[in-house]
Amino acid sequence: MRRILLRRLVQIVPLLLGVIVMNFVLIQLAPGSFLDVMTAEQQISDPAMIEKLRVVYGVDQPAVVQLGKYILSVLQLDFGFSYRQNAPVFDVIVAALPATVILMLASISVAIIVGVTAGVIASVKVNTFWDNLVSIAAVFFFAAPTFWLGIMLTILFSVRLGWLPVGGMRTIGGTHGPVADALDVAHHLLLPALSLGLFYAATYVRVMRASMLEVFRLDFVRTARAKGLSRARVVVVHVLRNAMLPIVTLVGLQLGTVLGGSVVIEAVFSWPGIGSLMLDSVMSRNFPVVLGVLVLSSLVVAVANTAVDLAYLKLDPRIRAR
Amino acid sequence: MFTLSRRHFLTTAVAGCFALRFEAPAQAAQTPKRGGTLTATWGGFEPQALFVPPGGGSSPYFTATKVLERLLLVDNELNFRPVLATNITPSADFRSYTIKLRENVTWHDGKPFTAEDIVFNALQYWKPIAAGVALKALTGAEAIDKTTVVLSFDTPIPVFFLKSILAGKSGLVIPKHIYEGKDIITNPANNAPIGTGPFKVKEWVRGSHVEFVRNETYWNPELPYIDRLVIRWWRDPASRAAAFEAGQLDIGTFNPVPAPDIKRLTSTGRFTASQDGYLGAAWVATIEFNSRRDIVNRPEVRRALNHAIDRDFIADTIYFGQARPAQGFIPSTNTLFFDNKIPVYAFDQDKAGKLLDAAGFPLKAGSRFKVNLVSAGWFEENVKLGQYLKQAFEDVGITVDLAIPDRATSFKRIYTDYDYDIAVSNNSGSAELVPQWTQFVTTDGIVKGAAFRNANGFSSPKLDQIVEKLSIETSTDKRVALAHEFQQLVASELPITSLVELAPSTIARADVRNHSNAADYMDESWSDIWLDR
Repeated sequence: MRRILLRRLVQIVPLLLGVIVMNFVLIQLAPGSFLDVMTAEQQISDPAMIEKLRVVYGVDQPAVVQLGKYILSVLQLDFGFSYRQNAPVFDVIVAALPATVILMLASISVAIIVGVTAGVIASVKVNTFWDNLVSIAAVFFFAAPTFWLGIMLTILFSVRLGWLPVGGMRTIGGTHGPVADALDVAHHLLLPALSLGLFYAATYVRVMRASMLEVFRLDFVRTARAKGLSRARVVVVHVLRNAMLPIVTLVGLQLGTVLGGSVVIEAVFSWPGIGSLMLDSVMSRNFPVVLGVLVLSSLVVAVANTAVDLAYLKLDPRIRAR
Repeated sequence: MFTLSRRHFLTTAVAGCFALRFEAPAQAAQTPKRGGTLTATWGGFEPQALFVPPGGGSSPYFTATKVLERLLLVDNELNFRPVLATNITPSADFRSYTIKLRENVTWHDGKPFTAEDIVFNALQYWKPIAAGVALKALTGAEAIDKTTVVLSFDTPIPVFFLKSILAGKSGLVIPKHIYEGKDIITNPANNAPIGTGPFKVKEWVRGSHVEFVRNETYWNPELPYIDRLVIRWWRDPASRAAAFEAGQLDIGTFNPVPAPDIKRLTSTGRFTASQDGYLGAAWVATIEFNSRRDIVNRPEVRRALNHAIDRDFIADTIYFGQARPAQGFIPSTNTLFFDNKIPVYAFDQDKAGKLLDAAGFPLKAGSRFKVNLVSAGWFEENVKLGQYLKQAFEDVGITVDLAIPDRATSFKRIYTDYDYDIAVSNNSGSAELVPQWTQFVTTDGIVKGAAFRNANGFSSPKLDQIVEKLSIETSTDKRVALAHEFQQLVASELPITSLVELAPSTIARADVRNHSNAADYMDESWSDIWLDR
């Protein structure tokens, strides 16, 4: 186990460098620059002022020098300064981080709970009405665009029934202690987490059902039944645990994308997360923020992959032997 | 002529509709109620900072103007009304202006607002940063006493011109004691501005909303009527419509909801729609022809191409009626300067074809010539506009290479690299033509890398002369004549012209009163808006 951890840690360094260099090159190749956007937005037409800003933004130097400087400062855990928000990049990202992490973790939880439960039901009641119902629902939630689902849920629960707020993360101007605040956030979180979670759950259901059906056919399951174990015990202890491996792989992949957020869901529910920040930063060619998010994301991907490897060991002791 | 009269009929009819919908007499008769929280939004995204000193576009201006005031405001009839200045009088030679300031005004931090603040703004903020070339003639500002300032210029300055600047986008008054000696553009105060306005910034939650509270020491003790103003941002127009219906949004400016939803919302009787309040920031979609490129540098080709464009179709189909066909570069809503006698290029494909034949570009193997069309993709409508123009030009036998780049690329292709034959872009400006409208065609408007300036490369000594006169002529009648001359020249040479004049809507709950009452309402302080609940 220590070997795995160590190997992963060593792998992070080239990964980070690769992410930085590749994205830096991509940003340089994109037409239009941060300077163009900023001067256009601020209606600056004085050539001397444009020249001054070029120096302030650090884009007066050759791209290679800019890249070298950036790598050096990242090594010192300094992600640079965002002139667009007038704040350090790290602060800008950290401000949007909690909202994104809460939304993504909540939706992945919804996906796991709904997906695994529905997948187990479908496999146990295979080729019955319940199986078909689960399959149809899975196809529906997978095919329905998340923004459409989000708007429909909003119209039903917020406009027609008036139970839930339309977008946002907190009730404006209402803070009454940590418990009330948490409940308030949960209230706002429900619809976005549900619309994103149900979309993810659709994949989980299909994978879970297929994986369960495969394990059902294996010899040890027949043995367990022959031993006279109850049906529930066979399903939960013998089949479910062995069928979980593909789900863990999926969760691992999804955890890696947590920092990216979801631009669409954030837009529909005006959720103040990283997705919108990232979109704005790409559109305005604000490369310090884009690179900052990507560097942090690659760290999260590396950590999530390591966690998945460790979970494999726990779930399937045979992996250790190899 | 027919189109002209029909348009006049249409505008009058539309105005009549809104008057009815608004029940203006009832509104005027009621006494305003105090209190309440107003939640507002607009048809765009969150700003990069609450206040962006050089301008920064509509979004930061929307938030900044609730806190920072100007000396004057312009009402819906294009009259100037006092805000921080009570009187502005020119000297006999129009080379200096005496500004009398309102007394007993304080900044949100309690410091008094004085003539020194205006001197600082004029010399350190307005001239070098906000107004740019518009105030190039300003030579000095002097505080005579605590509430009197004299601005001096090295040329005569028209009254309407100066007042337009003071009441316009570049006339915000910022506190000297906060900004002096520090870089104005990167000052941290820009994220939590301190002003003299009716609202104070309480909290900005990035990605969500900004909360303003009533300024208890506002110079007009009656105002503001509301206790709290929240500006919230939704990135999705359909979500804004849902927020209206769920009662979580009170007013939205600049097309907050998709056009088809406007009718649905207003038909319930719970919401009103208004197209008032956009005179002072008239938006147009423009088409311009690159004078540096062969073929499109010829006025006869430009005229022919204009005959190939069906502006009614653009207004009705692409903008869902939220726009009027334009008759020239200057919006027809500019009642002061608009010239209704300029040449109008009616939609006539046969005529376009004949004009192109006459210009020496007959159809050869199905094509007369090839052009690059760049449509700036910052508005969704520009995407459709680009696709429509490609079709319209192909109908008269021109091969079109269409590009609809994203925002940053559009800035670069159109305003930095001048890499286009024909470009579709936008402009927004007040009634005053200099420099916001004239800089698209004057020689000094050609500044490489500066957006929303002369990118078409048009340069005519005659036109430069007209604009030069326009900026120093002090008689209103003569200015109108010069403005007409300007429009005649632009309309016949056609370096740039407008396709449609946008007619944005403000959607509000029926119990939101006294809104849309200024020429650029979105950017007024909203001190007199009130809630009838």
